[in-house]
Amino acid sequence: MRIGILGMERILRIASGLIILGLVVELISLAWIHPLAFTLFAFVGICLIGLGILIYLAFLVLVVSLPGETRGSPPTP
Amino acid sequence: MELPGMLIALIVLTIVLAAVFFVRPSITAGAAGKVLAFGALCILPAICLRMGLTTHLERSEQTKFCISCHAMETYGKSLYIDDPSYIPAQHFQNHRVPADMACYSCHADYTIYGPLKDKLRGVQRIYVQYLGTPSKTIQLPGGYHNRQCLRCHLGARSFDANPIHVALMDSLKSDEMSCISSGCHDMVHNGGNLDDLKMWSPGQ
Repeated sequence: MRIGILGMERILRIASGLIILGLVVELISLAWIHPLAFTLFAFVGICLIGLGILIYLAFLVLVVSLPGETRGSPPTP
Repeated sequence: MELPGMLIALIVLTIVLAAVFFVRPSITAGAAGKVLAFGALCILPAICLRMGLTTHLERSEQTKFCISCHAMETYGKSLYIDDPSYIPAQHFQNHRVPADMACYSCHADYTIYGPLKDKLRGVQRIYVQYLGTPSKTIQLPGGYHNRQCLRCHLGARSFDANPIHVALMDSLKSDEMSCISSGCHDMVHNGGNLDDLKMWSPGQ
């Protein structure tokens, strides 16, 4: 499997996007005290943030396992 | 509505930092960027998650959380019945249970996995309420256990000094006879008949 720098950047974007989305859901759920807010946080917020963190951790593993030349700085024009 | 200020600030900070990596993921090329990314995409979100979970679990123990459900409104109102023979009202009005955690104090399952079971049951009820057909009367699964009462009353002077309690102690402890049996403390929420009852307003 070959993942270049652009692919890595995409993975990082997906991870940060999921985390942002999950945190926004958490913010919304904290705005009111209701069982639905709890459910929203428990089933949507936790899943999004958890998935984002997992993808980021997978990204770290991929970065370490990649050959040296692909690990360095982003592509320069 | 009280908002946990520190948690909100932390969430906003994490969103801002994560947004930086969303817009410019190439920052992670440098050593400082890698450290910042680890903080912004792993440590901080995990802290936000943990704090959010704690906040939501604490909120779910509050009386206003329980009675925010339409189906629970009448049970919430029953706490204001102006009649000391109504056990929940008497406990709530005289602060025999914390007023802001009245439902939780008497209905939480105080066993090892009790809180988890309670949450799963709660989620089931939300599912039935919004996606299924809710039943007209709310039934406590397994009935009302004496341990909910005995947790506070057992060992209390007034409870132990009562000859009826002493005579029935074994049956009460083994749940053979319910505390809310007919003829004993049987006046509970009475959800369907509140209009005919006199209500208490705090500060009266």
